[in-house]
Amino acid sequence: MIAFVLFSIRRAWQGFWRNALMSMAATLTMVLMLTLLAGFFVLQNVLLASLSFVEQKVEVVAYVENTATQEQVDALVAKVGAMPEVSSVEFISRDQALANFRQQLAAQGRTDLTAALDQNPLYASINVRLHDPSQLTTVVSAIRDEPIVRSVINIQALVDRVLTFTGIVRTAGIAILGLVGLIVLFIIVNTIRLAVVARAEEIEIMRLVGASDAFIRWPFVFEGALVGLFGALITLGMLLLVADPLSQAMVNFFNVLPIELGSVGRDTAVLVLGTGVGVGVLGAWVSVRTYLIR
Amino acid sequence: MTSPESASSSLFGRLTGRPRVTRTSRDVVVLHDVSKLYPNGRLALRDVDLVVPEGDFVFLVGPSGAGKSTLMRLLIRDELATRGHVVVDGDDLAQLRRRAVPRVRRKIGIVFQDFKLLPRKSVWENVAFALEVTGTPRARIKPAVDRVLALVGLTGQAGQIPTQLSGGEQQRTAIARALVHDPRIIIADEPTGNLDPVISWELIQLLLRINEMGVTILMATHDAEVVTALRKRVVALEEGRIIRDELGAAYHRED
Repeated sequence: MIAFVLFSIRRAWQGFWRNALMSMAATLTMVLMLTLLAGFFVLQNVLLASLSFVEQKVEVVAYVENTATQEQVDALVAKVGAMPEVSSVEFISRDQALANFRQQLAAQGRTDLTAALDQNPLYASINVRLHDPSQLTTVVSAIRDEPIVRSVINIQALVDRVLTFTGIVRTAGIAILGLVGLIVLFIIVNTIRLAVVARAEEIEIMRLVGASDAFIRWPFVFEGALVGLFGALITLGMLLLVADPLSQAMVNFFNVLPIELGSVGRDTAVLVLGTGVGVGVLGAWVSVRTYLIR
Repeated sequence: MTSPESASSSLFGRLTGRPRVTRTSRDVVVLHDVSKLYPNGRLALRDVDLVVPEGDFVFLVGPSGAGKSTLMRLLIRDELATRGHVVVDGDDLAQLRRRAVPRVRRKIGIVFQDFKLLPRKSVWENVAFALEVTGTPRARIKPAVDRVLALVGLTGQAGQIPTQLSGGEQQRTAIARALVHDPRIIIADEPTGNLDPVISWELIQLLLRINEMGVTILMATHDAEVVTALRKRVVALEEGRIIRDELGAAYHRED
């Protein structure tokens, strides 16, 4: 058994180098296709991160009665903060609200007329951020019933529109990634088939001298895996080179820093290696099958 | 149904229950009532009966398309007979399990008109290839390859690649490869078709020598001069039928 595996690997290695031109062509195709796949995968992840960034922007603003005491407010903040749907709660006092408003006016270059007011017309508020904006209704109805809450800004329609949009974009992203995956699969399998067909005579001779199916198949399967492995490693090397400048450019371009791309590098590596080796093996398997004993 | 005689004397009788074929020694090839219809509708063999005892030297003659190649492909179970029995060294090929096919193929060495050598491998590697891909331990490969290369007289050319060899040398390499498994039968499909007459004769001499060692030889050929000169058994095919099966015969009918 071990001898057979060693034999197959040795033959695969020989086969790869003795048909260097065909192997290089297959590996190159593999690199191009895996780069394409990895590119779309990373894009998909950036897209998903951007979408959840947009969704995180959804904020429930509840105005608090002026009569509410500090203890009541603290109790409310603690209670809302404890809700499982809520990611963060922030209390904005009346003074702070006025300060923010003045800042905005100044930033927009408008005349500040608030100084003419004899008192602060703004209410204090709690600003609530959600893990998942689709949970809006639950949170809003819970907050609305609080005695010290004066009113909750109704953003249901806006949130619904955002969710519809992100939903469509997500589905489209997955569909495109799936399509690219299929294209990559077919092109790689076809390339490996060409490499196998180019050696039809070798397989024919093996058959005629009485080689068993396993002895014909496995060296080619290992060779397919080898092409996949080389292709994947070259692709990952290239991606590693461009990863840093590219992500820097992306951050500068979008100007949205909080996008979480931490695990994408690892996921891409797994995807590229898995697809490369997996499709290499699959391609070799189906291509050789044509030549086995009928 | 089965008579005692068939049960004891004839392998073929045992398989078919019909004691029709009488025989004296072991038969390595038995075809009984074999027909082959290809999926495209061509009837390549019709009701072929052929018994080849061990150690025989048989010429298979006939025009192109007469069924010679089909007959050979049936023997190595590259194709299955549509009807009838094909028995090689005791194995009915129709009943052979897929896994057992390689074992039967190793009893048969095949030689083609176009040699079918691997162009990037040396003579030695081409012969060793047949053993490697059938899982022979490396320690047994070297002596076996050296032995058959000596037998066909190519020890000196062992390191050369096929393109550096003459046609005759290439065909001798192919014969060495066919022999390296110690086959019971050598099937040669027009082995001299690409060779000039002098080289052809050398090759025939080699096949005769191998035949004298006890290997049964089945050779399809158009070479009338060789067939007529050797006076061996001649089986003539035409349109898928055996029209003549004579011992010590010539290429053409001599009535």
